[in-house]
Amino acid sequence: MALSTLLISLLVTSVIIYFVSKASWRVGAILNFLIGIFLISYVFALHTGTTSDLGTLFGQKLQLTWTNASFYFSAVSLMVIVSVMLFAIKWLDSQKYPAAFNMFLLMMTAGSLGVFMAADLVTLYIFWEIAVLSSMLIVPMGKKESRKAAVIYAVMSASGTYMYLYGAFLAFQRYGTLNISEIAKQMVSDPSTGIKAAIFLLLASAGIAKSGIFPLHTWLRIAHGNAPDAFSAVLSGQLVKLGSYVLMVTVAVIPSLRVFANIPFYSGIPATNYFLIALGATSIIVGTLMAIKQDDMKMLIAFSSVANGGYILIGIGTMDPMGFEGGVLHVFNHALAAAVIFMAFASVVYRTHTKKISELGGLIHKMPITFLAYLFAIISLAGIPPMSGFISKWMIYQALVRKGMFITAFIAFFGSIGSFLYVFRPLAGVFLGQLPKKYKDVKEVSPVMWIPMMILVVISLIIGIWPFPVLQPIESMRADFGIAPMVKISDPDHWLIRGFAGNWNPVLVFNLFLIGFIIAYILYTMFPRSKKVDLLAPHKEEGTPINIYTGGEYIYTPELYHYNTKFYAGFERMYEKHPSWEKVLGMLAKFFHDLGEWVHGWFFRPSPSAYAFWVSLTILIVFWVRW
Amino acid sequence: MKERTIWEQIADSFRSRSIWMLHYCTGCGAMELPPTMTSRFDMERFGVAPMATPRQADILLITGYLNTKTLRRVIYTYEQMADPKYVIGFGSCTINGGIYFDSYSTINRLDYYVPVDVYIAGCMPRPEAILEAFNYLMEKIRKGEADGWKRYRENYEWYKQNQIRSLGEVYVHDEFHE
Amino acid sequence: MAAYKALFNLVVAFFLVLSLEGIARKIMARIQRRIGPPWYQNFIDLFKALSKHPFSNGWIFDFGVLMALGGALATAMIIPMGSITWTPFPNSDNFFVIMYLFAVGALGMAMGMVGSGNPWASIGVSRALTQMLGYELPYLIVMSSVIFFYKTASIHKLIELQRGGWNLLVMPLGGIVAFISLMGMLGKKPFDIMIAPAEIASGPMVELSGKYMGLLHIMHVFSVFVEISLFVDVFLGGGSFGWYLVKFVVVWVLAVMISSVLPRFRIEQMLKFYWGVPLGLAFLNALFVLLGWTL
Ligand code: SF4
Repeated sequence: MALSTLLISLLVTSVIIYFVSKASWRVGAILNFLIGIFLISYVFALHTGTTSDLGTLFGQKLQLTWTNASFYFSAVSLMVIVSVMLFAIKWLDSQKYPAAFNMFLLMMTAGSLGVFMAADLVTLYIFWEIAVLSSMLIVPMGKKESRKAAVIYAVMSASGTYMYLYGAFLAFQRYGTLNISEIAKQMVSDPSTGIKAAIFLLLASAGIAKSGIFPLHTWLRIAHGNAPDAFSAVLSGQLVKLGSYVLMVTVAVIPSLRVFANIPFYSGIPATNYFLIALGATSIIVGTLMAIKQDDMKMLIAFSSVANGGYILIGIGTMDPMGFEGGVLHVFNHALAAAVIFMAFASVVYRTHTKKISELGGLIHKMPITFLAYLFAIISLAGIPPMSGFISKWMIYQALVRKGMFITAFIAFFGSIGSFLYVFRPLAGVFLGQLPKKYKDVKEVSPVMWIPMMILVVISLIIGIWPFPVLQPIESMRADFGIAPMVKISDPDHWLIRGFAGNWNPVLVFNLFLIGFIIAYILYTMFPRSKKVDLLAPHKEEGTPINIYTGGEYIYTPELYHYNTKFYAGFERMYEKHPSWEKVLGMLAKFFHDLGEWVHGWFFRPSPSAYAFWVSLTILIVFWVRW
Repeated sequence: MKERTIWEQIADSFRSRSIWMLHYCTGCGAMELPPTMTSRFDMERFGVAPMATPRQADILLITGYLNTKTLRRVIYTYEQMADPKYVIGFGSCTINGGIYFDSYSTINRLDYYVPVDVYIAGCMPRPEAILEAFNYLMEKIRKGEADGWKRYRENYEWYKQNQIRSLGEVYVHDEFHE
Repeated sequence: MAAYKALFNLVVAFFLVLSLEGIARKIMARIQRRIGPPWYQNFIDLFKALSKHPFSNGWIFDFGVLMALGGALATAMIIPMGSITWTPFPNSDNFFVIMYLFAVGALGMAMGMVGSGNPWASIGVSRALTQMLGYELPYLIVMSSVIFFYKTASIHKLIELQRGGWNLLVMPLGGIVAFISLMGMLGKKPFDIMIAPAEIASGPMVELSGKYMGLLHIMHVFSVFVEISLFVDVFLGGGSFGWYLVKFVVVWVLAVMISSVLPRFRIEQMLKFYWGVPLGLAFLNALFVLLGWTL
């Protein structure tokens, strides 16, 4: 099947799915899932270099091509989407509009695949809009505030896309082509730095808006927080990665190091890239600090997505072989981790109907599998070894240290340690600790919901131990873009990952951890067996105190003895009075709103006299002009 | 008394050299602990160290009189300690009620409610006496004679009965009663 | 061969640090004009704890303790002890790998302890993580400048490259900052905020009884080993096994002596402290390294 046929038939199928789902949404969801499985197998069978035409515009061919980058991004996206599709088969019964959800989910899949395949700027734009619009229509299916969330999402996205379109036409006007690789070639020989930089930044702004990089990050919190719960997994795990893709296209496909060789800023990195890196660093700070103090667990991870988008941008922006690979690998890691985390939260919300950390606690006793999925996902998100998340962070650090970018490195370290802080909050507040009595009858979610989470967790774990299947496509991608193609980072023959500063062997590290764990277990079994303390005793029988250290006090309401609000109070106090970018944007919005209000009030004043005045004025004008 | 296995003997000798204590400071006797801990008498040289919670502690120090309200906490705390655990009764109040023997709300004999391994007589006992008690307790542990925790387990019914008789039924279960 | 070396690491770490901890108690006692416990007191404490009949607060509590000990053991197995001869895995002793593998143990401990269901543990963990944010940042900046300077993050290579002179003398600012961070890592006195026994009932350890206490004590032993070994290897030039031990003891004794005369910080005082002078010095050090102004 040609690529264009595939995409168009997917779009058509999504409408069919809608009508099927109207009859029975479950059949629609299962069909969706099967289509997803088919897409995965299709993607893995495609050969790079396959192209197909879509039509012509301004005498320019609109084309789709299949490159290594398309393969990598499509595979990651599909992994996330398909698992959410499987998750949705059960989860949708808590939703009001399952049919529309199914349709838009498939449409969005088609749109994002189109983005990854697009060979020219306009095709990219078209599919981009399909993906954005269909996802925008899913967002308001969530709770109360979601409508506003969808509007904010649309506005932010649009502001990015219009800049992108402007950049695209600027490029078309100057170079007479829309094809990305053609543009890249011509840009290298273009002498005018100003226009090149303008095109570069305008194109990048779409990615900045989409992946929630600093000045345009505010939609992420609102949209992720209020979207239907399972869809947040797609938003954060997959849609945000469209932004990373566009950023990668602007930074790497257009060889920014060569294009902007005349404006080096620091350590061989051009000023334009450095500008992006600075934005990425700012988003790490903003994302981390804001994530630490959120009470809404979905918004917490939404801010963490802002921070991780910053990592990806920093990694790619350095255009260093390690940094680039780290950044691109981070796309994979963050996609998987965020998807699992949001699915775990969706399971929690599905059972408890709240997403406030302060209202939850102790769910490990009731939902142990969801807990495990969340646990492994945060290990990956925080970048701790046995999981894959560590590898990409390691690579990004290597690049930053090699380039001597200490301030950026400082921010990256801050984000990394800050991520320990914020991922621990839901762990402690939602899953561990004391179970509130009102949740004593909560049950684990059905296997249809936890199997997709577990699959992603296992993939992430396996890649953490044996990362070469993912590193090799990235390496070939890097060779395509000509970023130091000589340097080999992954060395599967010796089981090593080679950095500029020393190597390491992921298999060995995992085995050491395993041996350590086994030694610990042997020690554990050698000594006297422990007596179990039943933490759920107060739930089983009214009038039993909790049997933990309470300073001798008898406590019968376990939720009072649970610490989940203001978890890092000491630290949060230090930046309570922070300036808020969201407020600035809010003020701007208010200004336009007031302006509209004023115009509205002036022209459409509801009083009859004003009405008569306007009518007569109109009549006068009409007569005066004598139509 | 049952013969101890060789492992138990070794464990007991370790236990006797390392005593982590939880001091339940309700009575006046608590005043004597700071000098015992600090430079003047330095109980750390015997391996005695203060601990923060009952889970970590080996001995429970009852430093003086107990009224019915605090007795409940003491029993709760004692049951939260990990076996083997020892109790030291501090001062005459724990032995026979001391000067509060006829008070309406204090209990007279600690031994009825939790098993006491060592009593320290005096009102209040000086740090020297406390150190002496520690040494005596260590000796008992080493010999395997400090078996209060076993007695508590074996005669649990009897202790429970005493506790309920003295404390009475609790009708309202919440944070303010008991 | 590597396996034997790794095992040797563990044995050395266990006996060395446990006796040093006893010695630390002795030193502390002498500074406070007491006699203090014998140097082997910590061995007795450890075995006593292991011999008790403990309570377990659920499977995550057990799992967290095992994960903590497993992570610490794994890290202790990678650490080079002073020279290439005592480097078990020369291909994986990357600094960042060590730092993050170390975090596995910390995460396991935090998870298990909060899993005990006691809010004091949560408060302790929140303090511990905040403290991590404090001391890691200056430390990592200093380490980045070291790695930038020597162009390698492999610990045994760093040791070899210090033949000419100890890193402490090459970049003294970095060495001082690293030592201050080390104090935070060890959780020694001004920075023992997370286990403050009087305020938050020893924080994360509040529910630990018997063997859980013992196993986490063993974990702590290996953590101390890793932390001080990193400092000795990276800043004091490692050295032959004997020299390595001497340096280890000196660093430890210094840390103990400083800690025994200081009171405790509050949590935000700690953050302000670390993000003030040490972080500034760390950046200054990085600047010097960038400009090539090293001694
Ligand atoms: S024995 Fe004396 S000193 Fe001790 S508690 Fe009773 S009255 Fe106070």
